Amino acid sequence: MENFVIEPTKSSPAILFDGTTGILDIAGESYPENSYEFYKPILHWLSRFCNNFREAIVFNCRISYLNTGSTKSMMDILDLFEERHSKGLAVCVNWYCDSDNDRAIETAEEFREDVTFPFKIKSLEE
Amino acid sequence: MITIMKKFDLYDLKQTVNRHGVLISFAGPFSHGIIEELGQAVTRYLEAEAVTKASLTDVFSVFIEQTQNVRNYAVKMEAEGITDHDFNSGIVTIGRSNQHHVVCSGNFARKSDMPSLVAQLNQLHGLDKKELKALYKQQLRTTRNPGEGGGLGLIDMARKASEPLEYDIYELDEQYCFFSLCVTV
Repeated sequence: MENFVIEPTKSSPAILFDGTTGILDIAGESYPENSYEFYKPILHWLSRFCNNFREAIVFNCRISYLNTGSTKSMMDILDLFEERHSKGLAVCVNWYCDSDNDRAIETAEEFREDVTFPFKIKSLEE
Repeated sequence: MITIMKKFDLYDLKQTVNRHGVLISFAGPFSHGIIEELGQAVTRYLEAEAVTKASLTDVFSVFIEQTQNVRNYAVKMEAEGITDHDFNSGIVTIGRSNQHHVVCSGNFARKSDMPSLVAQLNQLHGLDKKELKALYKQQLRTTRNPGEGGGLGLIDMARKASEPLEYDIYELDEQYCFFSLCVTV
């Protein structure tokens, strides 16, 4: 499938989804003016991709901050992956966070609690 | 006709701000760009203060939820065609009280919107951290309408707060009031 790319701003993350390799990178801060509108095309692309791509998907997340609206959209992304996982298709999440920041680790752990597919919490230096 | 305007005493204003331990304050229209700029200023300030990364994250996120709630409310009022108050013109302050940071915001609001907001704040008041987490997760799943984000923001702030959320409603007239919310992180 075609790649999906969004340039970062101060309040929205950089998106680089590779439609050929299945490596999906997201990085930056996430508190856009309207998180629902920001994540809508991302969810749309991911939904199509999850249906079409048969190889393993690797989602690398390096988001240092998510506001509540973005947290909700992130749950929607993880739900898509959960659905994929339940169909027996491979998907894994590498969630990178600052190992000195207890709150960032807690946020990652709270996302991990709600999924059954491989979800690794890694230090930013890894 | 001659009108004599009382001289606006900025020194007095600055003293008031200092007396309340306010470190950063902004009053005026909240645009998304201003929220971004202030957010960066807050981050740099806290980094210089050498607070832990977890506290910096908490103060920053409460600041964002507060200002975005004010902004979203103003956007909602504008969409409903209610323009007889400048809902977008608010105030936000970040201050220090003992070992804690206090993030406050204030804005004009419809009195008719207050009962549900107050009920929600009172509900949060009675919950411990574990119950707040459960409610947060439940709301994340049930909030479907994109405009409904405010409730989630309040729960998130209550989770990060070290004391119950404090609010105040200043009645202006029949229809409108000034609502303020202070969160001690």
